[in-house]
Amino acid sequence: MKSPARRKTRQADPWGRRGFRNPAIWLTDHAMVARDSLAFVSGRLGTSVVVWLLVGIALALPGGLYLLQANLGGMMADWEGRPGLTVYFEPGLAAERPRAVRDSLADDERVAGLQLTSAEEALTEFQRFSGISDALAHLDRNPLPASLRVTLAEGLPVETLDDLAEILTGREGVDDVSIERTWMERVQAMTEAVRRLGMLLALLFSVGAVLVTATSVRLAIEARLDELRVMKLVGATQAYMRRPFLYFGLYYGLGGALVGSMLISALLLFLEPPLARLMGSYGESLSISGLTPFFFAQLLLLGAALGVGGALLAARQRLTDLDVLGN
Amino acid sequence: MGRIEFHQVTKRFDNGMEALKALSVSFDEGSMCFLTGHSGAGKSTFLKLLLRLAIPTRGQILINGVNIVQLAQRRLPYYRQGIGAVFQDHHLLAHRTVYENVALPLRVAGMRERDLARRVRAALSRVGLLEKERLYPRHLSTGEQQRVGIARAVVNRPRILIADEPTGNLDPALSQDIMRLFEQFNEVGTTVIVASHDLALIRSMGKRIIELHNGELRHDSLVASVADAAAGGGDT
Ligand SMILES: Nc1ncnc2c1ncn2[C@@H]1O[C@H](COP(=O)(O)OP(=O)(O)O)[C@@H](O)[C@H]1O
Ligand SMILES: [Mg+2]
Repeated sequence: MKSPARRKTRQADPWGRRGFRNPAIWLTDHAMVARDSLAFVSGRLGTSVVVWLLVGIALALPGGLYLLQANLGGMMADWEGRPGLTVYFEPGLAAERPRAVRDSLADDERVAGLQLTSAEEALTEFQRFSGISDALAHLDRNPLPASLRVTLAEGLPVETLDDLAEILTGREGVDDVSIERTWMERVQAMTEAVRRLGMLLALLFSVGAVLVTATSVRLAIEARLDELRVMKLVGATQAYMRRPFLYFGLYYGLGGALVGSMLISALLLFLEPPLARLMGSYGESLSISGLTPFFFAQLLLLGAALGVGGALLAARQRLTDLDVLGN
Repeated sequence: MGRIEFHQVTKRFDNGMEALKALSVSFDEGSMCFLTGHSGAGKSTFLKLLLRLAIPTRGQILINGVNIVQLAQRRLPYYRQGIGAVFQDHHLLAHRTVYENVALPLRVAGMRERDLARRVRAALSRVGLLEKERLYPRHLSTGEQQRVGIARAVVNRPRILIADEPTGNLDPALSQDIMRLFEQFNEVGTTVIVASHDLALIRSMGKRIIELHNGELRHDSLVASVADAAAGGGDT
């Protein structure tokens, strides 16, 4: 009898990875599995529709919130005007001072726009606005100050306004600087809150989508356990055995993303009239930014990734220690 | 590949049951052998270990000198592709045709369609079922189903062919046919090991017989005849 000692057999290794060395065969096999899996998924339409709906809802909520967050800032900006501050000069000040302050800011990169309202213009405006011209005509002195409206350049944080305000407060003839910040901060806080909520929901619902596909793929695996056992017996690799199930996951995820896209579109269609009224846009339609083919492509990609992720999870749980012949 | 050596192989299941106890036995390349013994003797466990569907608790299993106990997980599929296996309940897929059932090992191994068809037909003609390739297993008799299982086991031209009670539910005449089939594969150089408790049948085949008893080697006709020859006796 030969020695049981292990011999050096590196070069004689008969069971190294061979697999699909020919990419054409590999591709053919994928195409075949893709087709068979599609037949399986469409053959069990009842189950598939439920999975698609669940995954679709799971994707629509964070997707919709993402759109809302992307649009909220923009909508509010259009609605209320751009952020800025107003410099109020001392009443009765000579008209040169305000002009000098305005000119000093003309080249400042932080400033997008400057609009000077002289004391006289303010008075005229007030008279036209209030209609009490008579009473004011009797005043010997214009009680209204000149003012300078400074608009913040795009893309700058609101804190920039504080810096500007500090410089301007020290200028000669400046009475008061008022920053229109409260609504800005609210919008920013709101956008941030919606963003965080969206992220949290996206995370939770993604886990949900993964679990839904994992569960359905697991059921599909259970239904084909006999076949899988035989496959393992005749030497199928893990990759080969789980391939059809990854395609199930892919189809579940993609279908779910399609349902999700439809849900988001339907939701927006439903919400458009009241939103348009809210935003004061009296035209018929409201342009929602972000509702682009790219957004939908992202949604499909996310759905596909979550679906395949769920399938991988299920395959890992069920196929790794698949027992054959009751061992 | 084709030579099989078990060295001091013990298999203890989780429940403490020792199905094999320090079993040492070897099979030459191209030999044929019957494995027998009472129910629960350890025959199926032996074959499962050989297929590496289970891992021995102790000992080594060498295939052409390579210890398959230590084979990495990712290499197991390729190892199994080199072994043909047949079982009593043939494990055919009910919703696939005879042709597709036999083709499965080749698909799994990634063979191209053209070569695959040739191999499947060759295997089916070896078991005499070429004209039934389009049928489903339920349309075949039990004996025919078992032959489909054999065609599937040999379609990849394995160097080792194992069978676990392949004639378990066949009548004697059919059982003879099946055993002859294994003999034919052995004649072209395949190492064949068949587990069966049908002593009358396997004695009629005139091959080596190994008897297991409670996981131990009770009798090896090869060793016995050598021993008898040394003692001046003779055993047929
Ligand atoms: N998975 C298992 N877990 C526990 N005990 C097992 C398992 N498989 C087999 N056995 C036990 O191991 C012994 C040998 O079984 P087996 O190899 O199937 O015998 P045979 O095929 O010769 O009838 C039996 O006592 C059986 O009950
Ligand atoms: Mg048995």
